[in-house]
Amino acid sequence: MIKLITAILTALTTGAIYALMSTALVLVWRSTRIINFAQAGQAVLSTYIGYEVTVRTGSFWVGVVGAMIFGALLGAVIDRFFMRPIFKRIQSGPILMIAPVVATLGLLGIIQSIIGFKWGLTYQSLAAPVSTDGYMLFDRVIAFSPFNLLVVVFATVSMLLLTLLFQKTNIGLALRASAHSPEIARLSGIKVDFIRTLGWALAGAAGGLAGMLYIPSSYLYPNAMDVLLVFGFVAAVIGGLESLFGAVAGAMLLGFAISFATSYVSEKLVFPMAFIMLIVVLLIRPAGIFSKKKDRRD
Amino acid sequence: MFKLTPSKKRTFFFIAIGWALLLIGDRIGELRQYQGSFVAMYALAIASIILLTGYSGQLSLGHSALMAVGAYAGALSINNLHLHPAIALVIATFVAGVFGLLLGFGVARLSGPYLAGTTLALAVSLPTLANQFPILGGEQGVVFDVGLPPARFGENFSQYKWFFWISTLAVLIMLWLISNFVSSRYGRTFRAIRDNETAAALAGLNTGRLKVLAFAISSGMAGLAGGLLVMLISGVSPSAFPLSLSFSLLTGAVVTGVYSLRGVMLGGLVLVAIPEIADSLVTRIGGSEGFTATLPGFLVSALLILAVLFAPNGPGKLLHIFKKHS
Amino acid sequence: MKRFSIVSAVVALGAMVFTALPAQAAEPGLTSSEIKLGISTPLTGTAALSYGKIPGAMKAYFDFINANGGVYGRKIKLVVRDDKYLPTLAATQTTNLVLKDGVFALVAALGTATHSKAYAAASLATKKVPDLFVNTGFSGFGNQAKYPTTFTVLPSYAMEAKIISKFVKDKFPGQAVALVAQDDEFGVDGVNGFAAGSLTLASKTLYPQSSMTDARAKALVTGLSAIPGKPVVILFGTTDVTALIFKAAESLNLVSKFTWIAGSVGGDANTLLALGVKTTTIDGAIAASFFPDAKDTTDEYVAEFSKINSKYNPGVTFDNVVLQGMNSAMLTVQALRAAGKNLTRAGLIKAIETKGSTFASAGLVPLNYSATSHLGYNGYWMGQLNAKGELKPYGGTLSVVTTDSTNGPITPSTYMRPSIPKNGIPTNS
Repeated sequence: MIKLITAILTALTTGAIYALMSTALVLVWRSTRIINFAQAGQAVLSTYIGYEVTVRTGSFWVGVVGAMIFGALLGAVIDRFFMRPIFKRIQSGPILMIAPVVATLGLLGIIQSIIGFKWGLTYQSLAAPVSTDGYMLFDRVIAFSPFNLLVVVFATVSMLLLTLLFQKTNIGLALRASAHSPEIARLSGIKVDFIRTLGWALAGAAGGLAGMLYIPSSYLYPNAMDVLLVFGFVAAVIGGLESLFGAVAGAMLLGFAISFATSYVSEKLVFPMAFIMLIVVLLIRPAGIFSKKKDRRD
Repeated sequence: MFKLTPSKKRTFFFIAIGWALLLIGDRIGELRQYQGSFVAMYALAIASIILLTGYSGQLSLGHSALMAVGAYAGALSINNLHLHPAIALVIATFVAGVFGLLLGFGVARLSGPYLAGTTLALAVSLPTLANQFPILGGEQGVVFDVGLPPARFGENFSQYKWFFWISTLAVLIMLWLISNFVSSRYGRTFRAIRDNETAAALAGLNTGRLKVLAFAISSGMAGLAGGLLVMLISGVSPSAFPLSLSFSLLTGAVVTGVYSLRGVMLGGLVLVAIPEIADSLVTRIGGSEGFTATLPGFLVSALLILAVLFAPNGPGKLLHIFKKHS
Repeated sequence: MKRFSIVSAVVALGAMVFTALPAQAAEPGLTSSEIKLGISTPLTGTAALSYGKIPGAMKAYFDFINANGGVYGRKIKLVVRDDKYLPTLAATQTTNLVLKDGVFALVAALGTATHSKAYAAASLATKKVPDLFVNTGFSGFGNQAKYPTTFTVLPSYAMEAKIISKFVKDKFPGQAVALVAQDDEFGVDGVNGFAAGSLTLASKTLYPQSSMTDARAKALVTGLSAIPGKPVVILFGTTDVTALIFKAAESLNLVSKFTWIAGSVGGDANTLLALGVKTTTIDGAIAASFFPDAKDTTDEYVAEFSKINSKYNPGVTFDNVVLQGMNSAMLTVQALRAAGKNLTRAGLIKAIETKGSTFASAGLVPLNYSATSHLGYNGYWMGQLNAKGELKPYGGTLSVVTTDSTNGPITPSTYMRPSIPKNGIPTNS
C-alpha cells in the first residue's frame, strides 16, 4: 500500500516538473516551429540568477520572481537577436529542420560555458523555501513534503494562468493565430514578430520557474536541467505539441509511467521507459495523443 | 574509346582519392594518422545523417545509438565469434542496417519533431541497455582489437597507419556505394519525397517504403562508423555513445551542407580540428582554471552558431555569397 | 706512480663531468631542465564533482617541489587534458599527450571505461610509456600482461567490497543487508566483490547514475524501509547520488531506521555536507578508508599537505580528494628520484618495481609494488563519521586489513607507514 502511494506521489512531483519544461518547449514550438534545446541552458541560467537574488535578498520568492523576469528577458533577446536572423538566412527544406536545432544546441553550449566560467563547475545548493520533510500519513512519513506540494500547486496554477491567457485574452488569441497561420494573422493587423518574441518570453519565464522549483531537490550546476530537457521533450511529443493541455497531459502520463516502472520493475528502466512510452503512443497516434488530425502539418 | 559515364567518372574519382590518401598517409606522423582515421569515421557518420536528412527529409537525433548497435555487433563478432575484423565491420554495417529497417517501420510515419523526439529517446536509452546484458560487458564494455598490422608490411608500419588504412578504405568504399545509389533512380525518388511528400505520393511513389529504406541505409552507414570508432578506441562501452555524439554529427552535417555528400570530409575535419584548435588556444592563453575548462566548449559552440548564421546551407552556398559581393 | 695518479685524476674528473650531465637523447618529455608529465582526467561534467580537484592538487605539490630544487634540478611540468569522463575523448586526449605533447610519463589517469580504451588507443604498451598511479579501483588494471606499464595506487573496488562484507558480517550479524550501487564500473566491480565476500543481500538495486533524482531516491528509500529490523544499507556510488539518498532519508524521517555504509567513492563527508546533507545524518555513518581523515590535523602527512595546499593551491579546501592527489604526486616525485639522474622510461618502471614498496606515503596500508606486482594499496580500515564529518576508527581502535581482489583471505595488517620526509620534500634515491 505504501509502495503504491509513494509511486503515485513521486509520479505527481516528477510529472509537475516535466509539465513546466514541456510547456516551455510547446510554447516555442507553436510560435516558431522549432525545438529549443537551449531551453535547458536558459532555465539553468535563470535559476542561477534566481539563486543570486535569493542569496542577496534572503527570500526564495523574490528569487523566483527574479528568475522568471530574467528568463522572460533572455527568451525575448534570443528570439529577437538570434533566432530571427537565422530564419532570415535559411531557405526552405530539410535545412529548416536541422539548422535551428543545431543553432539552439550551440546556444546551449555557450550558455553552459558562461555559467561554468562565472560560477564555477562545482555543485551549489539552493535551499527550498518550505520544509522538505515528508508529511505524516497513518503515522508514517510519506514521500511527499510541503515543498513537493508547493511544486505541484505552482505548476498547476501556472498552467491554468497560461491557459486562461491563451483562451480568454486578446493576446492569447494573437499568439494562437500567429502560430497557426502567420500570414493571415499579419493581414489581420497582428504584429507577428512581436507576438512570437512574446511566446519566447513566456517560455523563458516558464523555464525559469521550472528551474527554481526543481533545483532545490537536486543541485545547481551548468548541466542540471539537461536530463529534464529530454524528458520534457518526450512529454511534449507524447502530448502532441499542439496544445498546452497536451503538454501537461503528456508530462503526467510520462511521470506516471516512469514512476511505476521504476518502482515496481527496475530502477534501470528510467530511460528505456521514456522510449517505450513514446513509441507506443506514436504508433497509435503519430502526432501525439491530443493532436487534432488536421494540425499534422509541421 | 570507351564512354566516360558519370558512374565511371565517380569510380575513378574515388580511386584517385584513395591513392592520394595512401600517399599522404605515408608522409604524416602517427598523430595525424590517428586524427585522420577519426576524420574518415566522422565523415561517414555525417554522410549517414546527410542521406537521411538532406536526401530523404527525416531528422534523427539518435544516430549515436545506431552507431552503438553497429559497434557492439562488430565487437561481439571479434570477441565472441572470433571472426576476422573485416568481416566484423561488415557485420556491424549489416546488423545496424537491419536494426534501422525495423526501427524505420515504426517511425517512418512520424514527421519532424515526432521523429526527432523518438530518436532522442532512443539515443539516451539504448546505451543503458548494455548494462542489462552481461554479454555486452557492462561499463567496461567489449574489447575490439583489430590486431597488429600484417607482418609483411614491415616493422615500421605503425598501428596508427593501419587504422588509417582501414578507416579510409572502409569509408571510401561505403561512400562510393552511396554516391552511386543517390545518383540512381532511388536518389531521385528520395529527393522527391524530401521536397514534397504529398506530391511524391500522388505521383505514385510508395513514400512509406522509401523512407524506411532510407532509414535502413543510413543506419547501416552509421553502424559501420560505429564499428570504426570502436576500432579506434580499442573497445566499446555505453559511455562511448553519449547524446552529445548525435549532436556533434548534426553539427558536422550543417557545416558540410546538408544537401550534398560532397563536403563530408570537411565536416569530419571540422569535428576533429575544432576541439584541437580550442585546446591549443587554451594552453597558449592560459588563465584561471574556470576559464581553461570552459573555453574549448565555448569555442566549439560559437563556431556552430557562426556556421549556422553564415553558411546554413553549406560552404558551397557560402562561396556563392562571396561571388555575389565581389 | 705519478702517471697513474694523473690518469686516475683524469678518469675521476671525466667520471664527474659525465655523470653530472643528465641523460637526454631518446627519452621524450625530458630535457635537462624539465620533466613533462601528462594527465587525462575529467575537468567538466558530473565526474568532475568528485575528481576535478585532483590535477590542481597534484600541480600544487609539483610546484612546491619545483620551488625546492625539483627532481635533481629538473622541474616537473604537468600537462592536463580534459576527457569529460568519455572513453572516446580519453583515447584521443591520451594519444595527444603521448604524440603531441610528448610527455615522459602519464600520471593519475581516471576511470575504467575511459582508461582501458585510452591505454590501448595511445599504444602505451608498445611505446612503453609509464602509466603511474591510475585513479581507479578497477582490479583489471593490475593485469600486467595487458597493462605492462601501469601502476595502480587505489585499492580495488572488489577489495573494498570484500572488506565491507566481512565487517558487516562481524558487526551486524543478525541484520539484513541492502546494496544500492551505481550501474557502471563503480557499482558492478563492487557487486562482484560483495559476492566474493559471500554477503547475502536482502535487496540489490542498481541505478543509472544520471537518472537518480530526489523523487526516485525517496521511492528507493521507502522501498528499503519495508525490510524488517535495522537493515544495513551500503551505498556504492558517486557523492552526488549518495547525498540525494541521504537527503531523501531525511525527508522521510528514516535516517535512524538504517545503518548506513558509504563506499569510498561517494563517502567524502566534506562534500556530502557541502551538498546539503545534515550533520545529524552523517553522524554515525560508516565508511571505509585507507588514508588518514583529511580533517585529522594531528596526522603528519595531513598537516604537511594542508600547508602546501594553502600556499600553492589557494582557494581550494583541503579534503580527501586533495589529499589523494598530493599523495600521488609525492609518490611520483619519489619514483622519479628513485630512477636516478639518468632518467629513462624503463628506469622509472624498474625503480617503482624495486623500491616502490618503501616509498613514503600517507596511506595506512602497504604499497605492493614489485617486479611481479604493479598493485598499490591493498587494504582498508573501517571508520565512523561524527557530526563534524571526521572519520574516526570504528570502535575506537584503528584496525587495518589487507586482501586481494578475488578469493584470498582478509588479514589484519601490522604495517607501519614511513614517516613523512622532512618538510614534505622527498630525498630518496
